Amino acid sequence: MAPPAQLANCVRGTFRASSFRPTLWRQRCLYHSYEYSQPPPFPPAEAAILSSAISHVPAFGFTLDALKLGARDAGYLDVSTNLLPRGVFDLVNYHLVMQRLALKDSVQFPTEAEQGTGKKIGIGAKVRTLTLARLRANEPVIHRWQEALAIMAQPSYAPPSFAELAKLADEIWFLAGDTSVDTSWYTKRASLSAIYSATEVFMTQDTSKNFAETEQFLDARLEDVRKFGGFLGALGEWADFTGHSAVNVLRSKGLRI
Amino acid sequence: MPPRLPLGAHRALSSPSVVQVQVRLQRRSASSSPTSSDIYDVVCVGGGPAGLSLLTGLRASPVTSGLKVALIEGQDLQKNRLQKDASLESFSNRCSSLTPASVRNLQEIGAWSHANTARIQPYQEMQVWDGVSDARISFDWDSARPLLSARKPSQPTTIAYMIENINTTTTLLSRLSELGGVDIFSPTKVESIELGTDAEQLDLSSWPILTLSNGKTLAARLLVGADGANSPVRTFAGIPSRGFDYNRHGVVASLKLEGPGWGGLDHKIAYQRFLPSGPLAMLPMPGNMAALVWSTTPERASKLKSLSPNDFVAMVNAGFRLSATDLEYLHTMPSGQEEEIAWREKHTPANERSIPMKVTDVQQGSVASFPLKMRHADVYTGERVALVGDAAHTIHPLAGQGLNQGQGDAAALVRTISHAVQTGQDIGSVLALESYNSERYAENNAMLGVCDKLHRLYSVESGPIVGLRSLGLRAVDAMGPLKGFFMDRAAGRA
Repeated sequence: MAPPAQLANCVRGTFRASSFRPTLWRQRCLYHSYEYSQPPPFPPAEAAILSSAISHVPAFGFTLDALKLGARDAGYLDVSTNLLPRGVFDLVNYHLVMQRLALKDSVQFPTEAEQGTGKKIGIGAKVRTLTLARLRANEPVIHRWQEALAIMAQPSYAPPSFAELAKLADEIWFLAGDTSVDTSWYTKRASLSAIYSATEVFMTQDTSKNFAETEQFLDARLEDVRKFGGFLGALGEWADFTGHSAVNVLRSKGLRI
Repeated sequence: MPPRLPLGAHRALSSPSVVQVQVRLQRRSASSSPTSSDIYDVVCVGGGPAGLSLLTGLRASPVTSGLKVALIEGQDLQKNRLQKDASLESFSNRCSSLTPASVRNLQEIGAWSHANTARIQPYQEMQVWDGVSDARISFDWDSARPLLSARKPSQPTTIAYMIENINTTTTLLSRLSELGGVDIFSPTKVESIELGTDAEQLDLSSWPILTLSNGKTLAARLLVGADGANSPVRTFAGIPSRGFDYNRHGVVASLKLEGPGWGGLDHKIAYQRFLPSGPLAMLPMPGNMAALVWSTTPERASKLKSLSPNDFVAMVNAGFRLSATDLEYLHTMPSGQEEEIAWREKHTPANERSIPMKVTDVQQGSVASFPLKMRHADVYTGERVALVGDAAHTIHPLAGQGLNQGQGDAAALVRTISHAVQTGQDIGSVLALESYNSERYAENNAMLGVCDKLHRLYSVESGPIVGLRSLGLRAVDAMGPLKGFFMDRAAGRA
């Protein structure tokens, strides 16, 4: 009697585990929730190795060496880096995910009640602050960041890299308090992704003090988008007017439309 | 229901005995619905040029002079009249250019002879040029004649007439008081407009009932909205009005020039320079006077308004002479434009005779600005409602067509109403009003579109568009018949 019961338990256990994990995963990825705290993004062993490995990146870069040193620091064998099937990309990915999640704690905007009668911070200004904060999080590894960009550009790693970029853009718009539910939801995220990735590349070449030029570059790109958005808005308004007036002229001539 | 309306109304209006009964009934019940003495055939809200032109047209025509008409105006029409002996040294900053077609209409309704002609300035030539490339076109009937044909002596030489708006309204009011028969409520505001009710004797359920600020209520067989861009009548009729704001302000001022102009007193010239921020126009007024319309960004408009008279005069002179880059810099200076411009002008070559004479003075308190926008109502007519003038459409002032469109509307609506009267139709019915909408809508829409495109075309500061538009302008300038066609359209002679 016992073995079948055990088997059943075991099956149920695996079933539960397999059905449980996707639910968590879905919660983590598909929407932002104020009610539930998110589970940690990496399993404990992986997190231990990767977090120690990150501290070796400034010296060794995004390499297998940094990973091995990280594993040793965390008290694992060198071979335990096999836990990470994607190798160095997992190290890059860890940096991306952790910095993205750190954003909500590192940047705090005053709530409307705290702000009182002072000038309200616009969503545009919030997006700028958040984007800048995320770029500054690359500062400790910026001299190694071109290696990371090269790894991310590898064909097998490009799709997850893009997905991570999209998540970052979504995170920034969410934290800035954007609640749009129309097509601008997509265009906002797409344009911010483009701006962020361009500024990130610019930053790897920036030698100015305290990355002042990166800041200017970001402002210029944001201004471009604002202008282009204004142009598109005006174009839409004009097209709407022209369409209506064409119909109105036909109606005035007696057409029943 | 519809057949009952006109019948009931006709009975009330035509037989006096019924009217009496009606009045007594109403008084006894003390209801707020209008007594039959307050039932009008046409109630016009708004006593601007378009509304007054409509009423004058209705009163002047023998067909429609039997209609009972009322005018409601929020401002005091008698107070806001042009004094007969007003000084020719001072002009209102609200001026318009009346096309020959509008003037002909005013002549037909017998109003033009009442105008204060000393304060009206016809002009015979128009110089228009590109502020970026200096490509130029000159409009005068002489250069626009067909090839190989001599100018006919009968051909007109006047392009348009500059007239103060107050002169137009005073002219129309004089003609209206000569004709008489209009119940004028002024200064009286419209408190509310609602549909009437179906009473025993009189079914007014489709009639607009206006409650006035003096407590009176009027019922209108046809309610005409001549009440401006934010028309309450249009709101009542539920007619949407579409368009956009240009994010530009028109700065107006009355100016004094150093002379009557390069053509003397008999050949006056209007000037317009298309700057990237908007067109800058100087229009001749009698004597040495001129009217300014400078379309520019709201920031620059408030800057111009804040300048001292000397600096303002210098800026206007610079606007016709200096480059767009110079002007951009001058607008950033807090003060002292006068000296800066005097220095810059020495280093900017200009053909003095192709630009207006220098401004010497600006009339005190005449510098003002208004936002520029474009609006067009979806339809001009509804059940017992018609819109004329700015209530129906608002246009960019670069071609000076706003007032003329309103005059055209008024004339067309008079024709529509008199046709309805002649054929025994209810003048408020949608069917009777249909021809007004079909006559005016496409024409106004085309004019709105042309002005809108011109504004957009000349907002471009650089690139291939500047070259192309300059080429186009020079080509049109060289082709007399084509230019004549454009001038005919602008003069309302299509």
